[in-house]
Amino acid sequence: MSIENVVFLFVLIVAAGFFALNVQRLVRYMRLGKAEHRVDRSFHRIWNVLRVGIAQTRILREPVAGAMHAMIFWGFMVLTAGTIEFLIAGVFPGFSYERLLPTTLYHGYELSQDGFAVLVLGAIGFAYFRRLVLRPRRLDGDNIEHLDAYLILGMIGSLMLTYLLAGGFLSVARPGSLEYTRFASLGIGGALQGMDPDAAWVGYRVNWWAHALLVLGFLNYLPYSKHLHVASSLFNVFFSNTSWKGEFAAMRPMDLEADAEKFGAADVEDLTWKNLLDGYSCTECGRCTAVCPANITGKPLSPRKIVVNARMRLMEKGPLVTGDRMEFLRPMLVHGEGAAAGTRTAEQALENRLLDNYISEEELWACTSCRACVQECPVSIDQLDIINEMKRFLVLSESRFPEEVQPTFESLERNGSPWAFNRADRAQWAAGMNIPTMADLHAKGERPDVLFWVGCMGSFDDRAKKITVAFARILQAAGVRFAILGQEEHCHGDPARRLGNEYLYQMLAKDTIETLNRYDVLTVVTSCPHCFHQMGNEFPQLGGNYEVIHHSTYIERLLQENLVPLQTDEGRRLTVAYHDSCYLGRYNDVYDAPRETLRRALPVVNLVEPPRTKDRGLCCGAGGGRMFMEERTGKRINAERVEELLATGADAIAVACPFCMTMMNDGAKARNASVEVLDIAEVVADRLQSSRSH
Amino acid sequence: MPNILVFAEGRGAELRKVALEAVTAGRALADALGGGEVHALVAGPPGIGGKVGPLGQHGADVVIVCEHAGFATYAREAIAATLAERAKGGYRAVVLPFSSQGRDLGPRVAVRLDAPLAADVIELAAAGDVITVKHPGYANKVIITLEVKGSPAVLSVRPSAFTPKENAKAGKVETIAPAADPGAERVKVIEVIEGAKGKLDLGEAPVIIAGGRGLKGPEHFKLIEDLAAAFGNAAVGATRAVTDEGWRPHSDQIGQTGRQVSPTLYVAVGISGAIQHLAGMRTSKTIVAINKDPEAPIFKVADYGIVGDVFEVVPALTTAIQEAKKGH
Amino acid sequence: MKIAVCIKRTPDSESRFKIAATGSGIDEAGLKFDMDDFASYAVEVGLQLNEKQGPGEVTVFAVGPDAVQETLRKAMSMGADKAVHLKSDAPVFDGIAVARALATELKAAAFDLVLFGKYAFDTSGGIVGTATAELLGVPCVTAASKIEIAGGKGTARRELEGAGEMVEFALPAVVTIDEGIARPRYPSLKNIMAAKKKPLETKPAQLGEVRVSVKKMELPPDRPPGRVIGNGAAAVPELVKLLQTEAKVL
Repeated sequence: MSIENVVFLFVLIVAAGFFALNVQRLVRYMRLGKAEHRVDRSFHRIWNVLRVGIAQTRILREPVAGAMHAMIFWGFMVLTAGTIEFLIAGVFPGFSYERLLPTTLYHGYELSQDGFAVLVLGAIGFAYFRRLVLRPRRLDGDNIEHLDAYLILGMIGSLMLTYLLAGGFLSVARPGSLEYTRFASLGIGGALQGMDPDAAWVGYRVNWWAHALLVLGFLNYLPYSKHLHVASSLFNVFFSNTSWKGEFAAMRPMDLEADAEKFGAADVEDLTWKNLLDGYSCTECGRCTAVCPANITGKPLSPRKIVVNARMRLMEKGPLVTGDRMEFLRPMLVHGEGAAAGTRTAEQALENRLLDNYISEEELWACTSCRACVQECPVSIDQLDIINEMKRFLVLSESRFPEEVQPTFESLERNGSPWAFNRADRAQWAAGMNIPTMADLHAKGERPDVLFWVGCMGSFDDRAKKITVAFARILQAAGVRFAILGQEEHCHGDPARRLGNEYLYQMLAKDTIETLNRYDVLTVVTSCPHCFHQMGNEFPQLGGNYEVIHHSTYIERLLQENLVPLQTDEGRRLTVAYHDSCYLGRYNDVYDAPRETLRRALPVVNLVEPPRTKDRGLCCGAGGGRMFMEERTGKRINAERVEELLATGADAIAVACPFCMTMMNDGAKARNASVEVLDIAEVVADRLQSSRSH
Repeated sequence: MPNILVFAEGRGAELRKVALEAVTAGRALADALGGGEVHALVAGPPGIGGKVGPLGQHGADVVIVCEHAGFATYAREAIAATLAERAKGGYRAVVLPFSSQGRDLGPRVAVRLDAPLAADVIELAAAGDVITVKHPGYANKVIITLEVKGSPAVLSVRPSAFTPKENAKAGKVETIAPAADPGAERVKVIEVIEGAKGKLDLGEAPVIIAGGRGLKGPEHFKLIEDLAAAFGNAAVGATRAVTDEGWRPHSDQIGQTGRQVSPTLYVAVGISGAIQHLAGMRTSKTIVAINKDPEAPIFKVADYGIVGDVFEVVPALTTAIQEAKKGH
Repeated sequence: MKIAVCIKRTPDSESRFKIAATGSGIDEAGLKFDMDDFASYAVEVGLQLNEKQGPGEVTVFAVGPDAVQETLRKAMSMGADKAVHLKSDAPVFDGIAVARALATELKAAAFDLVLFGKYAFDTSGGIVGTATAELLGVPCVTAASKIEIAGGKGTARRELEGAGEMVEFALPAVVTIDEGIARPRYPSLKNIMAAKKKPLETKPAQLGEVRVSVKKMELPPDRPPGRVIGNGAAAVPELVKLLQTEAKVL
């Protein structure tokens, strides 16, 4: 070992040590969050890491930018092997994998290094071009610091250049020392032909040291930059639940019996360590914000901002709460966050909190809980979780919510429905249809095969009642033995839960579960995706376990088994755009059943897809309790969606949700559009043989 | 034979229509008890004594006039004291209107007399020495029959429940002084804010034209006002939806928590007929509804309904009423 | 300031009522009960005045069966500090008797202000507040749609028929509260939990002699069904004719 090696070893130890201290610091901050168990289902978690992480499936949803990033990422992974070899060689000169690998493999390895260095360099060039010239919208806004991105790209680019240049100079200083597999380095060497070998050696050493310092410097830049994601994102993907649907897309259970000081989240210590890890992993790519229906239509909500704010706040509060003595290097470097935090005194900073000082009420209430942000995030961040916990805090701890929501809460409590309809009118839609109630059957000692849960919209809303009747007619035509709860049905509390009122929700849900259990209900079918998701996926948290099927799935099954006598002629020649319901689609992966149903009912139907469809579908705007709120800012979400659907040239919009039905109807009416809005049950019911009289 | 004391309410130097209703009710009660005298007590500023003629015409044997400058505004404690003091003179019952004043006075008088009080009465009956009354409770959804034990009994009658009936009696005027000094009121009236001059009060108007959300904006209430003007004896009312929005003043609100009215004719324009609104007007003698939605619940309570655009129907109706009134 | 608010537990005003088998009450099966609307405005006013006036206390009172304790807890979850339950199992339609029970309790503690709702939707007599004031011998302002308290004196606005009245009065006083004055706050879970631990006292209600009692309850007669006579302005002549000849109101 020469002096150079000793110096390098020293630098390596300092750099590694500094990095380790920072990692420890960041972990310490992360542990300010609440505890949470996230190592169940390990095999599925590892599979997610392979799929979302290594295979970059989510990143590749955007083909061009996705390919660019994938190239850099895969390049990074391959080149890491070379970096390790490089660093060891810095301490133990002459070390090389050549000694450990069979020759062919080693040549392959060398080829991979040079090859990926070129590819990565190309990708970096494109990345700069994209940021500086193409300027995609989602890379702006939310006070994004472009400097951070330019530095990162610059460092990666420089790493590639210094690697190739070092190789190039070496090939001139020591001709023949590089195999042909180091084609790119040799290529550069070719351009340097004629250079004095001693000068070339200096060039080689300079670039070698530059590369070394860049690697170690970049490593230590990570904790102060959004590039931290390279350290945290694979872990984040491992610990995330966002790739799974159904029960895993449920809101967090909440223990209200616990003698808690606070309910919900107002500041970073109320979030879990996983939420805080999400904060570390955010690359500020903005894909979430770009698909957020609220953001698209001009509301102040940006899912990216929510996550970045959580990180910013943690970086502000963490040092103060943990007595961190590394404050001299607080994140003042690249983000305006640090600078702003720097102008506050410690007292002010401690008095502040994530809610109100970073994230406003208005942002939180604008969320429709459509899950598009969660769907898009390449590092599996759950933005919705943070939003939901903060809404819970607003309602449960401070009783703060838009004033038009109070009558909704009061009506749910008094009347068992979010609207002031009389509970005695619940089963009026069934007049003359001879549908038995659970009570009727129970009295006779009988049980139906399935309970038809109607829901409040289906019971009281004039338009939605038609959907209820249509579905009931289909069930009757198929000879299904079903019953309804009639006046014993009341809201299961989902609107309250979505609005953050967990207390009211649990009251209503528990009562509903009691009623269902009293009748030994096993299977429930419902025409409302909110009821479907709530009863099927969230009831188990409170002990209610039933098989819950959405009517689109149920009707498709009936049609498949030829149990529904349909008219045999062609039927209407319609061009239909089916609008995906968020709670059916992104929450429960039900995309095909409604479309299949339409095709089976109308053999000649022309199904057209809007640009934003299936798991990219744009929300109608009614979810997250927004059905019960006024929309006061920006463009109406339903207007945005209706415009998109009309642009397909469809004669009719098909839906499978009464909330979507209302939103699409209102949106169409507002534009004086003559498009029909139909529920899939209505389309099928129209084709029943008993509807011949049409 | 048992005598009945009636509080003949006035505002300022004028008697109010409810005073005649109360006298009519008092007369009916006296007759049910076997025929006794009805004494009507009037408290007002100097000059009101000259306006008491109608009380005798509607059945008051005696009119007790208590004039005092302090009665120019509502001197609640002095009037309660005067009424209670007089009632101690062996009356079987004290009848007041269930108006804003009457609701305020009734309990005061009842406590001073240590007498039972039944309020908001729509029917009176007596058998022997038991007075039985009917009173709509539970937002006018349940008719409650109450037995009132004890003498004197204090009863307040719902405005418009007793139609003033001419039944000329002596109406002999007696003058008394207030039993307490109106200047010593512990609740001092510092200002009276009059409603629009000449505006008929909802409780007194024989015809009410009421507007709802269907009018789409405050500026369209002109249609309602024009129709009311065509009738000549109509007041303008509104639903809660409309007063909550600020299109009409809160005092115009007809409904469960607003004014409860019982006019001869109620015309509901652009009103869907929510239960809360119906609670305020379902006892009207004739109800007409105009609404563009044929499924609106108002059509279930209306005697006559027109399905149509209010902006077309109401002006047509205004013209038709003007024509009809011309013929009179 | 020491403020008392007297509240009542009534069935949900939106309900459709049926008469009980006894014929002298309503059928309570399936009915939801809650604080009466006007009483909840009074509670809100009491809380707001207390917040504005600095350190003070709000006590809520209610006459009724044990179930009324739920309503008292609701008032405490809105922010009232203490509750007193005056137990009376049977429903009382004699407002003067209820006032007696309340006045007996209120007299003992010197309250600066006692608030009531203008009336309760079930009995809807509006008797109890004013009668209580008279029994306590303090000034009474009924149907206040605005109220302000400062330095031991109050000003309030009362709605009359088609007019308004501004009044001034000294404390202690009783005020009954009209609607439109304040929106009752929605209790947070935190407050609901805290209310469970606040003091609630139960004593028998000293009603004295009850002289007004229910003999019978019945549903109002259904109006004879009306009819839609036509569409649009074309139906107007027919309407005028019917109003003249059939209904005889023109």
